[in-house]
Amino acid sequence: MAATQFTEYQTIRVRVNGHEYEREVPVRRLLADFIRHDLGLTATHLGCEHGVCGACTIIMDDESVRSCLLFAVQADGAELQTLEGLADGDKMHPLQQSFWDNHALQCGFCTSGFLMSAVDLLNKNPRPSEEEIRHGLSGNLCRCTGYANIVKAVQAVAEQSQS
Amino acid sequence: MEASQGGTGKMVGAQVRRVEDPRVLLGKSQYVDDLDLPNSLALAFVRSPYAHARIVSIDAAAAQNQPGVRLVLTGADIAGAIKPLRVEYEPAKAPTHKPCDWPVLAQDKVRFVGEAAAVVVAADRYAAEDAAGLIDVEYEPLEPVSDVEQALAADAPLVHEEWGDNVMQTLQAEIGDVAKAFQEADCVVSERLTTGRHMALPMETRGCVASFEPATDTLTVWSSTQVPHVLRSHIALVLDFPEHHIRVVAPDVGGGFGQKGHLFPEEAVSAYLAHRLGRAVKWIEDRRENLSASLHAKQQAVQAELAVRQDGTILGIRGRFVGDVGAYSEYPWGSAFEAGHAASSLPGPYKTPAFSFEAVSVATNKTTIGVYRGVGLPIGVLTMERLMDLAAHKLGLDPAEIRLRNMIRKEEHPYTTIIGAEVESGSHRESLQKALDILGYQECRAEQQRARAQGRYLGIGIGCYLEGTAPSSAAFASMGLNLGGYESATVRMDVAGKVTVLVGTHSHGQSHETTLAQVAADELGVPLADVKIIEGDTNAVPYGMGTWGSRSAVTGGGAISRASEKLRNKMLRIASRMTEVPDDDLELAEGMIRRRADTTPLMPIKELAHRVLVQAGSLPRDEEPGLDATAHYEPPPSTHANATHIALVEVDSDTGQVTLLRYIVVEDCGTIINPTVVDGQIQGGVAQGIGTALYEHALYDENGQFLTGTLMDYLIPTAIDVPQVEIGHIESPSPHTPHGIKGVGEGGAIAPPAAIANAVADALAPFEVRVDAIPLTPERVLGWIEQRQAAA
Ligand code: FES
Ligand code: FES
Repeated sequence: MAATQFTEYQTIRVRVNGHEYEREVPVRRLLADFIRHDLGLTATHLGCEHGVCGACTIIMDDESVRSCLLFAVQADGAELQTLEGLADGDKMHPLQQSFWDNHALQCGFCTSGFLMSAVDLLNKNPRPSEEEIRHGLSGNLCRCTGYANIVKAVQAVAEQSQS
Repeated sequence: MEASQGGTGKMVGAQVRRVEDPRVLLGKSQYVDDLDLPNSLALAFVRSPYAHARIVSIDAAAAQNQPGVRLVLTGADIAGAIKPLRVEYEPAKAPTHKPCDWPVLAQDKVRFVGEAAAVVVAADRYAAEDAAGLIDVEYEPLEPVSDVEQALAADAPLVHEEWGDNVMQTLQAEIGDVAKAFQEADCVVSERLTTGRHMALPMETRGCVASFEPATDTLTVWSSTQVPHVLRSHIALVLDFPEHHIRVVAPDVGGGFGQKGHLFPEEAVSAYLAHRLGRAVKWIEDRRENLSASLHAKQQAVQAELAVRQDGTILGIRGRFVGDVGAYSEYPWGSAFEAGHAASSLPGPYKTPAFSFEAVSVATNKTTIGVYRGVGLPIGVLTMERLMDLAAHKLGLDPAEIRLRNMIRKEEHPYTTIIGAEVESGSHRESLQKALDILGYQECRAEQQRARAQGRYLGIGIGCYLEGTAPSSAAFASMGLNLGGYESATVRMDVAGKVTVLVGTHSHGQSHETTLAQVAADELGVPLADVKIIEGDTNAVPYGMGTWGSRSAVTGGGAISRASEKLRNKMLRIASRMTEVPDDDLELAEGMIRRRADTTPLMPIKELAHRVLVQAGSLPRDEEPGLDATAHYEPPPSTHANATHIALVEVDSDTGQVTLLRYIVVEDCGTIINPTVVDGQIQGGVAQGIGTALYEHALYDENGQFLTGTLMDYLIPTAIDVPQVEIGHIESPSPHTPHGIKGVGEGGAIAPPAAIANAVADALAPFEVRVDAIPLTPERVLGWIEQRQAAA
């Protein structure tokens, strides 16, 4: 297969974490590669590039998506949020704070994906049960923590918001 | 235990939040793929689709002509430039070991699906992978060696022709009179077991960036590695490049669990290319490559017997472990390590008068086996704990009781085991008893009876282990392996009295920036926030061995304690002259030089630091300026941790599905530095062990074709599969290490296969199934049930 068929470019406009970007990208460029290497937002990680591990999870137009399964051109006109956009300056988002308080990360490679999935989960269901949290996060893989502290961290934020 | 002399001991044992977390949580961590160097080129490897084949020819012309392609190299192109990876043991210590060459790019033949046969260097990864797809390798397929049975047959094809057979190493030992023990036994039980082909599967795959700076003649390699100095030394060796011109940096590492404790062919090729091209190159492995071409682990076929008296007392054990090591030998440690480790771990915490084993490591046409959390122990412990249950069953003893009767007792420490290890301290019986209490053992048994009456199958399984953590240099030497078990640290105080610690371990999730800082803070009497831990840069930290083998708290902590002690002695000596208080009446605590007897503060540490470092003219003339110290710490010959795991499972007899209802761990890693971190290691280790027990298997077909190339085929546990582990602690400090610390990193992953397999066997006792293989997939468990039902 000749590579030349992939050399087509397209200009896209996206808003990422509140900033407007206009870039020319090869049409086959993965959204994840665009975010990481073109925009330099490297908090979004790639653990499999085949849609299973969830490390690359970001929020696109209020839905969590796997940025390894989308092309950058599919995000044309979209509003994206990555981990870099979660904190308010240096003030952590409650989920970030809770992950810290509950030792919900070890190597940290999966953490960005878990946080973005958890943001989406709590947006849709502010009062999830433990079981709903476990199901809601079952599309994200972590090889270090054994999940318990991640579940606790999300639970703690859900409980806070209720009180 | 060597107590800390200078500190107040407040930080060791404290539940502090991790220092490293804010960086990660705010998205500021730096993993290797986050490094984009200017003008960097990308690598893609062309990998073999055959398990065993001769390379007839490689046509790279079409790839060379692709836009963006800078260079294509094959095995023939680099044959003289990069030495093959070759694990050598001292022949006198390892007379049966056969070394083999692992060419960094295949030479005349390929030996596993996924072996690198060529590399493309191109402008970016897209271009590199396009071009890799255009390289035409002509193979002449050979008959593959697809399992150990076939490998050991007389007419088997040979993975390495020069060996004459497929056996990499055979280790044998007999200690005590084993034949007599089996003759005199009231009861003998035996077990044949096969285990899955597992893997570490860090969420971050392998990868590196390499660059060469002509101005300083420096080759720099940033690698997702657990062993920066080991990498540096071995890159120097295989490239024949002066080691003092190589710098290895391990940035944030996204998990490793053993897999990243090696020099890999791809790293050697990357370093070579950076030097040859004078350009930065990046290689980031994709998940398929990680699954098929990194390292696998733990596939063994086991045959073992246990001889006991009527009352359950162990008289003898014998075992034969045949390890399927795959095509090559993990570099530089060697793949034959694992079967021997499994075999020699059989007696575990049980007093054993006679023991013999044989460990045979067999080459096949599969991905090479390498160390993965616990190495051989999960398999050795699974075997022994199955035997204990079988013996208990046959004798009509309770499984807990037979263990309690045979375990090393507290008052017997230091206890020398049958394999000559001194178990310095521990809590074998106590940890089992405590785990039973947490479970509510008797109630659980009653519940099991009630459930059975309703056609529900609950099972309780126990797994106990004894783990030698933090192996010493002598331990490797006795195997014939010339690699160190020591660790090094430099401790520096600055003008403001703050402390920088440079240490040769490398965290890939183990929280060293927190736990090792806790040790230093206590040793030097400064607040935690005044300590910064630096790891992972060979230009900064003294020569060390990295992080593996549950070693970092013991050896990194030990080196930091020793270096701090040197620094502290100097500070107290100088302070003594300044305050006219004898130095053994002084201590460092809470940022102050204090009088030890009544804790009166005499001078802030930062004032002393300023006096020594800046107002150096006022130093006594016999005192060297400077406030730093380096120590190299050799751990004791053995540092033993122990634990009991108990699994409570329910097995669905219609589907074969195993559900974990509860999971209990009572661990003893000596003095705990940080309870939160220890609990995190246990929970995470158990999750991996659950994967080993229930789900994970890297699968090949009879042609050696790799079948589990995605995370939908190689299944690891998700948030739904791992219960909250109920953890209890007992602390039996080591009398031989600073602070009494023992290792804990691997422990959680060691006993789940044993506890879960025993629990499943217990649940299915009414069916009398023989649990003789892991992983315990629904298909396998249902097969056993149906077999028994058909037989009945
Ligand atoms: S990298 Fe996207 S799901 Fe794994
Ligand atoms: S913290 Fe390492 S993969 Fe989740």
